[in-house]
Amino acid sequence: MSGVALFSCRACGHVWQFRRAMCPACAATDIAVVEAKGGGTVWSATSVHRAPTPDLDVAGGYGIALVTLDEGPRIMARAPTDLVIGERVTVRAENGLPTIFRA
Amino acid sequence: MAYLTGIGITAYGKHPGLQPLDLMEQAVLAALADSGLQRDALDGLITGYATTHPHLMMGTVVCERLGLKPRHAHQAQCGGATGAMALVLARHLIAAGACRHVLVVGGENRLTGQSRDDAVKTLATVGHPEHEVPLGASIPAYYALLAARYLHETGANEAELAELAVLMRRHALGHPLAQLRKAITVEDVMASKPVSTPLKLLDCCPITDGGAAVIVSAEPLAKAAIKLTGWGEAHTHQHVSEIPDDLGLGARIAGAAAFETAGRKPADVGLLGIYDSFTPTLAIFLEALGFAPPGGAGRAAREGRFGRDGALPLNLHGGLLSFGHPGVAGFMAHVVEVVGQMRGEAGNRQVRDAPLAYCHADGGTLSSHVGFVLERLS
Repeated sequence: MSGVALFSCRACGHVWQFRRAMCPACAATDIAVVEAKGGGTVWSATSVHRAPTPDLDVAGGYGIALVTLDEGPRIMARAPTDLVIGERVTVRAENGLPTIFRA
Repeated sequence: MAYLTGIGITAYGKHPGLQPLDLMEQAVLAALADSGLQRDALDGLITGYATTHPHLMMGTVVCERLGLKPRHAHQAQCGGATGAMALVLARHLIAAGACRHVLVVGGENRLTGQSRDDAVKTLATVGHPEHEVPLGASIPAYYALLAARYLHETGANEAELAELAVLMRRHALGHPLAQLRKAITVEDVMASKPVSTPLKLLDCCPITDGGAAVIVSAEPLAKAAIKLTGWGEAHTHQHVSEIPDDLGLGARIAGAAAFETAGRKPADVGLLGIYDSFTPTLAIFLEALGFAPPGGAGRAAREGRFGRDGALPLNLHGGLLSFGHPGVAGFMAHVVEVVGQMRGEAGNRQVRDAPLAYCHADGGTLSSHVGFVLERLS
């Protein structure tokens, strides 16, 4: 399992990442916490060469991607800098941050 | 019902020593002079926020500074769409009979009032505090993710996006108040420093000091009658993680509502003021709104479609990308330019007759959209 927590609506089956008491799709309030299995597809990716704070700057940049998990939601994760959109990847929580590994 | 009767703007760039209130005041004095109104005729005020002067009640702070005693005043916050939102809200206040002359003002010393690192850090906080900011994401990174997706979906390339930066710079060359007035080429954009791939430095708007003000009135005044005839909003998400699959969805919803309210269609438009924080922002909007084919905004720019003599003149002051982006006043400069053009006051930048214009801004990461139609009635 990935260590990445998701929420699932028991009424309509919609799955998402951000904490909420009400399903964004159907407004039901019967919500379960589930864990992402970890499989996903890269929706977009970037390599950051100008970090928001200087202490984060890495020579050659660091990768951030949006990955569409197999459960449905799209989440942001740290990533290799050379990801290609459409690539199959694995997501795992590393030091509390969702991190992408090549499948 | 609601007319844009006064416009005022400062030079954009560096104003060391000037605070947000100084810049707002300069812009308001210019807008008052432009409208011919006496100060005490202003009975409504909507101001923006300033990251260099965080305050819970900027509306009242501005009233006090200007000596205004309005029937309504507040501070609006909707990121880059704040100015557009405030103009539409001013129209609603007038339509409700609450006010007759509403002052909309934004101004900030975003460039000299803080370190560059502080500016970047402040802006990064629009990201999700748990799920995005800790990853080291920044505003350019959020837009870079959208840019990469846009390029993937449309088949457009980075050099075509660069055309939009080149065009904005070409337009800024004609405006004495613009921040960046050194001509650039596609090669310059491509060779500029990577910020967050695929975005290079010249794909990004600069950080700027500046202020702008627009007065919205219940009737036309001394200058040409520029009426706000249509408006629309869309709020599809806040954080880029939750953006809809369709990148253009919010823009399309807001644009369609604006044209429907006005009883017009995009084909009627002869002048554009479109938010351009990054080159992909502009491309996505132009294409979602139907002003360029999918993936074709950059090519259309190269072919002259958005130039002064083209079919759809766009951001003739240079946009955020070259005129500058001091926060709330950033998009207000688009409005000032559009109104000046519609009146025929744009001098060496003047387009042939432009009686109908469309303006569009977003806040966040294509999150909040405000679009509106302006028409010249006399």
